[in-house]
Amino acid sequence: MSQKLLDVENLTMKFGGLVAIDNLSFSADKDKITSIIGPNGAGKTTVFNCLTGFYKASAGSMFLNKENERLNLRKFSDFKVAQKAGVARTFQNIRLFPQMSVLENLMVAQHNKLMDASGFTILGLFNSPSFVKKEKEAVGISKYWLDIIGLTHRADDDAGDLPYGDQRKLEIVRAMCINPHLLCLDEPAAGLNAKESAELNKLLLFIKNEKKTGILLIEHDMSVVMEISDHVVVLNYGKKIFQGSAKETKNSPEVIEAYLGTEE
Amino acid sequence: MEKKFFQTSIKDSLFTGLIALALFGPIVGLRTVAKNEVLEVHPKWFIVLIIVIVCAVGRFLTNLYVYNRDQKTGIQTSIGKSISNFLDTKGYQIALTAIIFSVIFPFLPFTDRYLMDIAIMMLTYIMLGWGLNIVIGLAGLLDLGYVAFYAVGAYSYALFAIHFGWSFWICLPIAGIFAAMFGVLLGFPVLRLRGDYLAIVTLAFGEMIRILLLNWYQLTKGPDGLTGIPRPSFFGLPFKSFPDEGEQTFHTFFGIEYDPMQRIIFLYYLILVLALITNLFTIKIRRLPIGRAWEALREDEIACKSLGVNPRNTKLTAFAIGAMFGGFAGSFFATRQAFISPESFTFIESAIIVAIVVLGGMGSQTGVVLATVFLIGLIEVFRDFESYRMIAFGGAMVLIMIFRPRGILATRKPTITLEKSSSK
Ligand SMILES: Nc1ncnc2c1ncn2[C@@H]1O[C@H](COP(=O)(O)OP(=O)(O)OP(=O)(O)O)[C@@H](O)[C@H]1O
Ligand SMILES: [Mg+2]
Repeated sequence: MSQKLLDVENLTMKFGGLVAIDNLSFSADKDKITSIIGPNGAGKTTVFNCLTGFYKASAGSMFLNKENERLNLRKFSDFKVAQKAGVARTFQNIRLFPQMSVLENLMVAQHNKLMDASGFTILGLFNSPSFVKKEKEAVGISKYWLDIIGLTHRADDDAGDLPYGDQRKLEIVRAMCINPHLLCLDEPAAGLNAKESAELNKLLLFIKNEKKTGILLIEHDMSVVMEISDHVVVLNYGKKIFQGSAKETKNSPEVIEAYLGTEE
Repeated sequence: MEKKFFQTSIKDSLFTGLIALALFGPIVGLRTVAKNEVLEVHPKWFIVLIIVIVCAVGRFLTNLYVYNRDQKTGIQTSIGKSISNFLDTKGYQIALTAIIFSVIFPFLPFTDRYLMDIAIMMLTYIMLGWGLNIVIGLAGLLDLGYVAFYAVGAYSYALFAIHFGWSFWICLPIAGIFAAMFGVLLGFPVLRLRGDYLAIVTLAFGEMIRILLLNWYQLTKGPDGLTGIPRPSFFGLPFKSFPDEGEQTFHTFFGIEYDPMQRIIFLYYLILVLALITNLFTIKIRRLPIGRAWEALREDEIACKSLGVNPRNTKLTAFAIGAMFGGFAGSFFATRQAFISPESFTFIESAIIVAIVVLGGMGSQTGVVLATVFLIGLIEVFRDFESYRMIAFGGAMVLIMIFRPRGILATRKPTITLEKSSSK
């Protein structure tokens, strides 16, 4: 019963001669936060790119376990991972739609369901009641998330005009708008100040506890990692060098040597 | 700092002068004259010198007064500012006034045959601009071969109308569907291309279609073109001065005098309606999920994929729908001219339509109208000075880009707002 949400087995990704991920296995739980940490170039982002279909893994398997089906993520290519398997992600460099409004950003995330409701545009052209209702619901969902991150008053402003910290949060809730099973966050705390990263922690805990969404988190900011992760996977040169709870990780000599460094 | 800037400006303008010399030296400076059956070269260095000086000084001045300003907003003059403010905020009122004006236009006292012809031509370009706006303005796919769809529409309309004798209202959707199919045909190979690469392939596609039309003689009569394309009729009532025995025509049916203007006015309203349909459709579809996906794709394709938006289908629909309206406009062109040949579908047409969309302000519907009136109007004004037309055209584009680098109407309105949807 206590099945893992994500099982990654023997994942390998090679770029020519460079082995970016080397025979990596780990798993992530439903409603748990699993952090992936490691020095620059360790292969963290590459793991995400394989999971979300942006890269085709050289070898290995990735399974996503839903209530009653086990999906092989390798079978899906880029957009289908989000559409069919429900794996959402954010990017190390924020990728919003900068010239579209905040609300529009969230509406695009609900594209597939709205597209169906609009009868592939035909019903939508004639304002069919079923479509109008669905669209209203989608606006409602967007507003729900905007309320949570406190950006409702900026809903109609261009996303590109938001301050950096708000853009990060918006990107996260935009990913949540596809209603994912697994949310992959690539350095969400990068560039945030202390107050903002505390807010980020709260948001991530809310998503984990209230939305029961599994979170995979790449992060360099140890205050975030140590405070909220349930499980930590440490990568170095594409290999897993350690895994365990946040506390175990903090005290592990290998991890300190490869990544954390000793406190002087 | 100031001084260094001055120096680089001077260097830059000298360099510009050199380029001008290299370009205009051979083109303008070396004039060949046939004399006693031999070709003699008559150099005209004085003119070249003037051109080079104009280029260098112009470059120097733009360096000083233009490029050290904020590039996004362009030169800010107080008049320019108030005009652009007016355009940005009063878009709706401008649009309404323009529609009312165009409805009563044929009956204004000063309207004559010449003005009507220009108006019809402008409306055709406006419609093409609106169609291409879907592809370029919304989906962000720089399509330089749009004229291909215009041509496909015109030829399929003409062929169906000539060979099967079908009426305008049947051939019109057929032409639209054909053009849309060609849109998809173009869309497939260029799915992975963006920006410059996409522009090159679409440009080539436009030329391919034209060359195909030139060479497929059995079907298209090649350079001779297709003649005898049926004129449109007013719901079955033709416009004819001398009706055949027992035939009802427009003027006999309504019991009025025959006047050749009647057909022109009908054509005018026909293209007005077609253009407005294009506009309404675009305004509506922009607010639907597909329209929003187009714009999202323009902004960031990778982010789109991460949200489960299918980029292939999204792009193909943009190409297909844009092409469809090009096809409709092509049908109108064919029925209006009654004669079409590949000559009407050269690259310059594509270039003009792209210019209209870009200068109007990518994605702005009102901007397309303003840019068309401006550019086509300019071309008309310079009609008597054939050789200066393109210079005026290019000059106008440079001016717009200096004063309004993001197009005449650059502001974008959100497709959905929280304020409105929650107050509903
Ligand atoms: N598309 C690619 N082609 C070639 N090499 C790549 C590609 N993507 C990543 N790499 C290489 O794979 C290795 C791992 O990169 P990755 O971006 O996954 O690191 P990271 O752990 O996310 O680092 P950072 O903390 O700096 O974000 C690097 O050596 C990188 O150069
Ligand atoms: Mg990374």
